[in-house]
Amino acid sequence: MNVILEVNKISKTFRSGTNVLKVLDDVTFSIKEGETMAIVGPSGSGKTTLLGLCAGLDVPTDGEVLLTDLKLNALNEDDRAYVRNRHVGFVFQNFQLLPTLTALENVMIPLELRGEKDISNRAKKLLERVGLGERIGHYPSQLSGGEQQRVAIARAFISSPKILFADEPTGNLDDETATTITNLLFNINKEENTTLVLVTHNMELANHTHRILHIKGGKIESDQQMEKKD
Amino acid sequence: MEYEIKIKKKSKYLFNDQWVWKMAWKDARGNFSRLFLFISSIIIGIAALVAISSFNINLQNDINLQAKELLGADFVIHTNKGLEEEIVSEIDSVEFPKASDASLASMVSFMTSTSGVRLVRVVGIEGEFPFYGKIETIPENAYELIKTGKFAMVDANLAAQFDVSADDSIKVGKITLKIAGEVVKIPGGGGMQSTFTPSVYISKQVLDSTGLMQFGSRITYNTYFKTNSEKEALALEEQFKPLLKKNGLTYDTVDKRKKNLGKALQNMYRFFNLLAFVALILGCIGVASSVHIYVKEKQKTVAMLRCIGASSWQTFNIFLIQAVGLGGIGSIIGVALGVVFQFALPLVLQEFVPLDINMSIAWLAVFQGLGLGLIISILFSMLPLISIRFIPPLVVLRTSIIPVVRRSKLRVFIVLLIIAFPLIFAYFLTNSWETGAAFFCALLVAFLALWGVAKLLILLVKRFFPFRWSFVWRQSLSNLFRPNNQTLVLVVVIGLGAFLVSTLTLIQNSLLNQVEFVGTENDSNTILFDIQPYQKEGVLKLVEDHNLPVNQIVPIISTRLLSLKGKLIETIQKDTLDSIPNWAITREYRVTYRDSLTHSEKLIEGDLHHVNDSSVFVTISEGMKESLNLEVGDRVAFDVQGVPILTTISGVRDVEWPKDPPNFIFVFPVGVLEEAPQIHVITTKIDDDIKSASFQRELVAAFPNVSAIDLRLILNTINEFFDKVSFIIRFLAFFSIITGLIVLAGAVINSKYLRLKENVLLRTMGAMKKQILYITLIEYSYLGLFAGFTGILLSMVSSWALTKFFFEIRFFLDYFSLLFIWGLVVVLPMIVGWWNTRDIVNSSPLEVLRKE
Repeated sequence: MNVILEVNKISKTFRSGTNVLKVLDDVTFSIKEGETMAIVGPSGSGKTTLLGLCAGLDVPTDGEVLLTDLKLNALNEDDRAYVRNRHVGFVFQNFQLLPTLTALENVMIPLELRGEKDISNRAKKLLERVGLGERIGHYPSQLSGGEQQRVAIARAFISSPKILFADEPTGNLDDETATTITNLLFNINKEENTTLVLVTHNMELANHTHRILHIKGGKIESDQQMEKKD
Repeated sequence: MEYEIKIKKKSKYLFNDQWVWKMAWKDARGNFSRLFLFISSIIIGIAALVAISSFNINLQNDINLQAKELLGADFVIHTNKGLEEEIVSEIDSVEFPKASDASLASMVSFMTSTSGVRLVRVVGIEGEFPFYGKIETIPENAYELIKTGKFAMVDANLAAQFDVSADDSIKVGKITLKIAGEVVKIPGGGGMQSTFTPSVYISKQVLDSTGLMQFGSRITYNTYFKTNSEKEALALEEQFKPLLKKNGLTYDTVDKRKKNLGKALQNMYRFFNLLAFVALILGCIGVASSVHIYVKEKQKTVAMLRCIGASSWQTFNIFLIQAVGLGGIGSIIGVALGVVFQFALPLVLQEFVPLDINMSIAWLAVFQGLGLGLIISILFSMLPLISIRFIPPLVVLRTSIIPVVRRSKLRVFIVLLIIAFPLIFAYFLTNSWETGAAFFCALLVAFLALWGVAKLLILLVKRFFPFRWSFVWRQSLSNLFRPNNQTLVLVVVIGLGAFLVSTLTLIQNSLLNQVEFVGTENDSNTILFDIQPYQKEGVLKLVEDHNLPVNQIVPIISTRLLSLKGKLIETIQKDTLDSIPNWAITREYRVTYRDSLTHSEKLIEGDLHHVNDSSVFVTISEGMKESLNLEVGDRVAFDVQGVPILTTISGVRDVEWPKDPPNFIFVFPVGVLEEAPQIHVITTKIDDDIKSASFQRELVAAFPNVSAIDLRLILNTINEFFDKVSFIIRFLAFFSIITGLIVLAGAVINSKYLRLKENVLLRTMGAMKKQILYITLIEYSYLGLFAGFTGILLSMVSSWALTKFFFEIRFFLDYFSLLFIWGLVVVLPMIVGWWNTRDIVNSSPLEVLRKE
């Protein structure tokens, strides 16, 4: 299998006046196509920062990130946005749906951005797939937390991304809903053969992945291969 | 290992990127209520501009079309002295059709159902006046009737005052005439002029036999000419010009009348333009502040769009399209509203303009309004919109990330345009860089002062924060400086509103105070003038018979200037470099003689008028000293009824003209003019209306040529005038104030969205309704207090300057009005704040959170 994401010796430093805070320090790893990986660690360990760098939402202070063979550091922000639109999907803890758009419209945005036509049927099918076929015209404020996260999952998959980044996807949900969402996420991921990188505190969720990257104090503590999942 | 960068994007621009247009629509449709504030900021400003510009354009058209009808002729000669032989023979030599009139102030007796006497302007008309336009009367044949010499006609307001009907009569001087009807419209008259100087019209032959035209009477003569073409009118002007200049006569042509009318209306235009300027600038603030807040709220949406691949320009374009779209809608509504308002303006202004105002849609104003609305919505939303480009996608993961706005050339360019806009706009409105710069500077000063106060307020609150105060007071105080505070915007908006309203109020009160002062503090309220020497004793006896005080007996002598500083008047007239105006050296000066100052004047330079062996020393009023360019010690020669008298300026008096009239430009010493032909003025005080009426009746019966000025009547007329003017000022200022209120409401409502989560959180943690309400009310009362105070302070400076340099009246500081405005400025934001919080305090926290 090909490597889809390669992280080489990256560091991230934040400056606040005279204070310098190194959030990530010399982190290196790679991930292959179709693989799933969880990044776990205590609060403040640098998990979310690492996810942001991998997804091209930010650039490292040192080192480099290669996503689908593209060196993200060398791209400007608009080019990185283009890469994200073509290859990356996102699922966030607080869903991040656009409040002024209906569920269907939220799902369609990534493809609309590409300029694709006749996408509403695909979006509807995806919404049906996540169990929201009856609620396509609802606004985020009219949906429950679990429903909003399902819309977010549909949105993440509509562009058939090569890699999906999820930041605490069940962090805002009750146990029952969290289980439903986890199953949904992993099932669609498997169907679409997407690479999945997720950040979580939840070891139960992490245990669903092929690999668990333990991170502490900005460094990789361990890279644990899990038992092969079907 | 080197990696090739394989980004092959299709370039998408605003017009070929369908997605941004779709997205702009989808995003806007859920925010209409919030974007309404953006639109309303533009609507009122553009409405004011279009209404005022259209009115100005229509008025200018009317001036151009009606100038001839206003003049009634092609060429008119005016004089307030008898026509010299050489002028009479020159007039006689002209073969064009001629007409003339003579007018003077006199008392007339109305023998009507509500009989009485009144000081009016008696106009005697001869010939076929007017040559253009017509005299509109009720009944229509009234003007024909007065030509028979047996009738008079009166201005419509006089007819109403004395309840004139068909069989009534009027006594003018010694002659009694039947009233033929009332004058509705006459070239050069009517409107406001008839309010101040109502007229009675008779034939000129009758005027000659009324006995009113006596020695010392101030008679104005007009001679009207009708030519066949503009060229002939121009030739006539050239023919008379040197002769008229030499004799100190003035003349009018259609072109001159147009220019004079334009000049007379210039102050009105300026005031209108100032209002439009303020309304639109407030609108600009409204646009900038609503977009600023809107963009802040949209940060997460932008970050999300960036996350899924939208470029920085795409996200920028989404909101730019919204701003331009809404600006366009706002401009269209504003223009429509402006056109409607424009038709309302003549209703309130007709009386002040000596023209028939014909309103039609001024397309130039309409297109200007549309264009300006679009420019404003783009320009003033651009700065906040540019910041959208710098919102990083990382904001979706960490809301604490503050977007770093980098310096870009576009940003610098926009800032420069925003600074230049008010200056260019003010120039565009006033057509003068000077006035435009004055508007701009006044605005800049007000802005800087208010901005400074807001900054100082934030600094002081932070520095001296009262940690021991109760939670409610601390929380409301800290709202003034915390992130997303509205202190700066609200202080500027509220302060500007307060500044505008209190400046208008202070000027109005100063003008009214000036008038009231005349009425209440003067020793005399009735002035009897044109008393011939042989009538003096008789009039004095009549005053005493009515148990009235004789406050002043003032002799008046008519004089003219012969030379100034040894230079003959003719020489000064020929000297093109001399800056002394012709009217000042050719006019008639009515002087008096006395050995003391009256209490309406102060000696500010030199000595009092006196005679000694070397010369006759006279004093001069301060204003005329400047006009005639004279100094103490300069020689002035007077022609006193044919006798030359050489005098020396001994002193300069500061005269308070409205106080205790009559007041004089030149005062001679006692012992020089006693033997000169003179008339007298006697002043007295009559407190009772009935007493006044009976005294005036007897005065007119016994001395038909003597007139009485009743200052109380003038006071009432002026009061009525100011009531009307202040109504108009308020009506027009309404535009600016409404825009201010909308911007204020917008700013407060916008801050609601920023405070919403916090207030809900407070409610969740157990804050009482009362506490939330108090926090809001106290925060806005602080803002109102400081902004109002600064605005009022600024208005004191501006209205002082306006009263001193523009209106030239005494500045009157009306503390009560200022306190009232201050109170209003404090209460209004509190009401808006209360309105805003009421759905937070009245609903459950969960309900509010779900809505969000």
